[in-house]
Amino acid sequence: MMVNSFSQFESPVFLTIPLIQLALILPWAFYPSPSPRWLSNRTLTLQNWFIGRFAKQLLASSTPKVHLWATLLVSLMLYIISLNLLGMLPYTFTPTTQLSMNMGLAVPLWLATVLVGFRNQPTLSLAHLLPEGTPTLLVPVLIIIETISLLIRRFALGVRLTANLTAGHLLIQLIATATLAFMSIMPANATLTSILLLLLTLLEIAVAMIQAYVFVLLLSLYLQENS
Amino acid sequence: MFSIQQASALKGGSPLGAGLVQASRSLHTSSQSLAPVPPLPEKGGKVRHGLIPEEFFQLLYPKTGVTGPYMLGTGLILYMLSKEIYVINHETIAALTIGAIAVYGIKKFGPDVAAFADKLNEEKVAQFQEVKDHAMSSLVQAIENEKKEQWRVDGRSMLFDAKRNNVAMMLETNYRERLHMVTNEVKRRLDYQIALQNLHRRMELEHMVNWVEKSVISSISPQQEKESIAKCITDLKALAKTTQAKATA
Repeated sequence: MMVNSFSQFESPVFLTIPLIQLALILPWAFYPSPSPRWLSNRTLTLQNWFIGRFAKQLLASSTPKVHLWATLLVSLMLYIISLNLLGMLPYTFTPTTQLSMNMGLAVPLWLATVLVGFRNQPTLSLAHLLPEGTPTLLVPVLIIIETISLLIRRFALGVRLTANLTAGHLLIQLIATATLAFMSIMPANATLTSILLLLLTLLEIAVAMIQAYVFVLLLSLYLQENS
Repeated sequence: MFSIQQASALKGGSPLGAGLVQASRSLHTSSQSLAPVPPLPEKGGKVRHGLIPEEFFQLLYPKTGVTGPYMLGTGLILYMLSKEIYVINHETIAALTIGAIAVYGIKKFGPDVAAFADKLNEEKVAQFQEVKDHAMSSLVQAIENEKKEQWRVDGRSMLFDAKRNNVAMMLETNYRERLHMVTNEVKRRLDYQIALQNLHRRMELEHMVNWVEKSVISSISPQQEKESIAKCITDLKALAKTTQAKATA
């Protein structure tokens, strides 16, 4: 039963059994593990090709030290993209709409990039706080601004993902409700809103994939500049 | 590899066929390796409308014919709708939208994606096929080279005969040269002896002639010399008279 528009984002509980773990583990079922066979079926071939292509593209321009993070970044990307796309299906729960989950992903990873940078080359990491070629007058102000922006990154990373997905799901729900309401009163409007819903769903699918990619890309960028 | 029990159990599992074959191979229970691995089926199981396996339709065919499963599906849906077991809400609309997008996407891009996946596998196979072909061709080439070498070996005796002839001719030539040289040397020495003998004889002759002359000259006494000179003068006078006479006559 729909109490308010945000009830779709409540953590699902069935007979007091929290189902969020099931929702979190579900993407694992969709990725077959690579077989020991040399030639595999189409699913595995495509999966391997995609993972290889993505890893290469993400980490092509980085040092070998950054390549140590390849497993983490690629698996993170696959996880988020499958969570998002599964959330597109009706009656599903998308864990990435929960701010707690996204902050839980973003803060430790961002902190790790910062700490790695400060441990390995502290001077260079601190130097990032001041862009090159700033006039001398602006230097103190800019350092403060850059520090704040550095600290804001974790919130930005988490909130970006949450906000995008939540907004998308909300919009879909609202427009679908509108279509349903219009169907019995003014079917013409219902047709229009259903076309709108179609376009919105297409956008949402794109957003789901892009947001996952952006998350991982930004992390890799933070890592590259700090490594 | 397979126990008899497993094999008979597999006979009844034709709908799941290949999956059972793979799943029933227990992991690391014996020291035998899992090779040779039984082959995977080439195509996936047949599916109708992209969702329902063909075996379901075959299951219902004897009892309800061709339209059986469709009647079942329609009846189920209508039952759930009419009894409001499934309530139509906004999610239904969202589901219809997503379903439409999914069906359109799969119909449009499905064959291309499948062809792409097949192409990736084909490239892999082609690479190894190339290696195998290259190895085979190099082996064939090696066999041909070996045969050629064997043919060469057969002709070896001819080669040796020719070489033998060569050597014999060289020896012969050398021998003849030396013979020639020896002959020349001997002739030179003999010539020297001849010249020496000739010299001896000539010298003896000259010496004898000189001695004869000397003795003749010494034997001529002075009186004889005067007489001969007087005779010569009278002869000359007489000769002069005759010639003078001849000239005036």
